[in-house]
Amino acid sequence: MTAGSLRPNRLDTLRVRRDKSVKTVLNRGMPATPEPRRAVVIEDDPDIRGLLVRVLTKQGFEVTEAGAGFPGIEAVRNTRADLVTLDLNLPDLDGLEVCNRLREFSDAFIIMLTARVDELDKLTGLDNGADDYINKPFSPREFQSRINALFRRSRTPAADEAAQNDLRRAAEVQQSLLPREEVRLDGYEVAGVFRPSRSVGGDFYDWYQTPGGLHLTFADAMGKGMGAALIAATARAVMRSVRHDPDLGNAFNLASRSIASDLDISGSFVTLFHARLDAGSGKVSYVDAGHGLALHLQADGGAQRLPSSGPPVGAWGDADWTEADLALAPGDSLVVVSDGVLDVFGSVEEFTDAVRRSTHGQPTAREACAALLQLAPADTAEDDVTAVMVRRLAGAAGTAAP
Amino acid sequence: MDLSYEVKDSYAEIKAAGRLNMVSAPKLREFVADVVASGSSRIVVNLEDTAFMDSSGLGALIGCLKAARQAGGDLRIAAVQPQVKMVLELTSMDRVLTSYATADEAFGND
Repeated sequence: MTAGSLRPNRLDTLRVRRDKSVKTVLNRGMPATPEPRRAVVIEDDPDIRGLLVRVLTKQGFEVTEAGAGFPGIEAVRNTRADLVTLDLNLPDLDGLEVCNRLREFSDAFIIMLTARVDELDKLTGLDNGADDYINKPFSPREFQSRINALFRRSRTPAADEAAQNDLRRAAEVQQSLLPREEVRLDGYEVAGVFRPSRSVGGDFYDWYQTPGGLHLTFADAMGKGMGAALIAATARAVMRSVRHDPDLGNAFNLASRSIASDLDISGSFVTLFHARLDAGSGKVSYVDAGHGLALHLQADGGAQRLPSSGPPVGAWGDADWTEADLALAPGDSLVVVSDGVLDVFGSVEEFTDAVRRSTHGQPTAREACAALLQLAPADTAEDDVTAVMVRRLAGAAGTAAP
Repeated sequence: MDLSYEVKDSYAEIKAAGRLNMVSAPKLREFVADVVASGSSRIVVNLEDTAFMDSSGLGALIGCLKAARQAGGDLRIAAVQPQVKMVLELTSMDRVLTSYATADEAFGND
């Protein structure tokens, strides 16, 4: 596999209906009813916007309109549009920038509109993600025939459905790889949430009980979509394979070595956080390979970020990761979050503070995780968003000092 | 993302302007591969106008660094902006991808 094969294509981004809410069990057997075609018109001139809306509505589209770039991007995300008309000169964002941002999550046909002929010449020579260009003023008939031509070139319904089924199945498999079993660990609760930005994603977490406590793995594979999901599943399997090695550092280095060369060849990497909890003492031993977004939350509301001890697995040869540990006192939590949450904030400090505030005082680990998900609302988050929490219950039986 | 390059005395400077993400990462990889193939293996990627980089973007920089080293040269980055710096530090990749204040300084001492 080359690096190029990890790039998004239309099949990667086919839209599969999914809940915006937290979901741990996938709704099986979703009906494959055809949905109406949706269009978003991003145009600041109200007259032209009105005209575009009329033409598209007449063509049978469900149309959403936006007068600027940011609300336009949001509308495309919310409606999962099939077609976008995009004015080049918008009050808030350059049309080309809007186009770039749309291409990060949408495979909608994008038609760019511009009033300037010289711009049109320049644009058509560039590979900027748009599917067609129209010069203003345009005739409604020309516009109509361009749209028809785009959709004629589109994939066949049968191929579309097969690809959708594949993706749906992949999403089911990925969900089934998340830990299902309730953790029954005296004095602790464990919870996790996972919201891929597409139907499948590169984030994942895993945990399982051991005689003395719990093992926890949290990973974020480079990129998004199917390629990232394949790498995530591999990392999960490899980390599970070393569970019986009593030496954490040894186990981690063994596991990472066994996937590093594959990752190197595919031009990819995975950030990996792996922890082992000794339930009796509250001691957590961990290794952090390039993740850097694990936090020790103290019962009194304090928070400490655990810095990573080396590069992501597969990113750079000859890496060696050192083991570190922390003591979970009653009321303390270990929380690991994906960078999809970090992206919302301007700095690591702001991020740390937001995690601390949103989780402090939450009655359960599950509710704390749900609150973390809310930090990156589904409407605006561009990356997979994942959070896991291991909480030592306050007043729990144990030997660690408070 | 807009990419351009200029061959200087002892290195080639590549200017990357825009968001370095899953969409633009393959473009940067191809662009740097072309520059390396054309004979310049000492490369500075000027990130002055790159306000955002995600994991795919980081993967591209790492891939480009490997390509430059394989060709006997090196790749260094310059004028790194706060979000990009944050990603490099979180992932500990700041130890591998050395950053300099300006493109001129990147190969200043060798």
